[in-house]
Amino acid sequence: MQEGLKQTDESIGLRKLVLYRDAVLTEAGEAPARPVWRASVAAVVRNPWLGSGPATDLVPEQARIAPVLARLLTDRLIASLGGVDAIESFGKAAIVGTAGEIEHAGALIHTPYFGNLVREFLRGESIICFADTRAEAGESLIVPLWHKTQAATRSHYQTVSVRVSDGPRADEIVVVAAASTGPRPHPRIGDRRTDPAVTTETLEVVSS
Amino acid sequence: MSVRRIVTVVEEIHTEGGRPLARPARIAVVAAVIDNPWAGQGFVEDLAPGIEAHASDLGALLAPAVLDALGEPAEAYGKAAIVGLDGEIEHGSALIHTLKFGDHFRKAADATTLLPAVEKRGPAGVVFDIPLKHITDATIRSHHQSFEVRVSDAPHPGEIVVALAAAAQGRPQQRLAPLTTEQ
Repeated sequence: MQEGLKQTDESIGLRKLVLYRDAVLTEAGEAPARPVWRASVAAVVRNPWLGSGPATDLVPEQARIAPVLARLLTDRLIASLGGVDAIESFGKAAIVGTAGEIEHAGALIHTPYFGNLVREFLRGESIICFADTRAEAGESLIVPLWHKTQAATRSHYQTVSVRVSDGPRADEIVVVAAASTGPRPHPRIGDRRTDPAVTTETLEVVSS
Repeated sequence: MSVRRIVTVVEEIHTEGGRPLARPARIAVVAAVIDNPWAGQGFVEDLAPGIEAHASDLGALLAPAVLDALGEPAEAYGKAAIVGLDGEIEHGSALIHTLKFGDHFRKAADATTLLPAVEKRGPAGVVFDIPLKHITDATIRSHHQSFEVRVSDAPHPGEIVVALAAAAQGRPQQRLAPLTTEQ
């Protein structure tokens, strides 16, 4: 198994994994109706497209690397959040180092080779919300999450902050999968079903 | 003790210096974000009652959690107290520089040495580095290391972040001569 892990590391250029998990015990002085965990798992990998130009076809490398990352990151998320059935919302992100293109970040998270597999492994149905950027090592990225089967469920709109202290280096990409086991601590801003009809004509505070 | 959040960070290094490691190097941190017990009281001369009320509970909360997060026996460890902007660094030190706090970790990890520490005051999201040393012999050079942590949205001005760190090994690719060879 150790040997298999090593081969995986080398095939995807894995330098490190960073797990972050956050449990909110009280918010505004009161315990949430149920305790919720939010977690992210970040993999720091070598940018396989370094030095290639915009004409480069990204598919071969993304088809080779992204599925391995999808499995690795979701396995860690599921283990840290108490099982796949406990996971209610999800999100994804990538940070490309300064020698890469933002398109390289997108190539590892915005295609079926990552997104479809993350959705399948986390047993979701929704499109997966995301953040991506190019940054120096140590920059924080806010990763949005929403409900894994009912994306419009407003109680589950939330974010988790991701940061790798020494990554990405200029020639690396940080790839992130994130999830939570429930809603925000005290959700009470309604939902589409409970919203009144709001237009400029129904409001007095703005002119139509 | 009022705990707002518990944050767990686990880092697993697979490659260092361009070379894969024989086995991934793991470090775990668990941090509790708590109300500063002395917030809003002006200068409190005697910190002992607050220490008595909270330090042991914090150690009992964090020690098993960080060992669980590490998932392997700890070989090195350290601690941190990060005080929000309205508090004194002395408040953070009060909670972690007492055997009532550290003994929970020492007992759970079969450790004997003093825990190296960082104490600091800062805004929410401040970055801090936790020093770690070997759990039974603080002169073992291979295990001198530190781990960078940032807890977003903490500590608020009236809060303290108290954390424990544990490493399952020394530095990745450690290869310095031991202290004894220089004596």
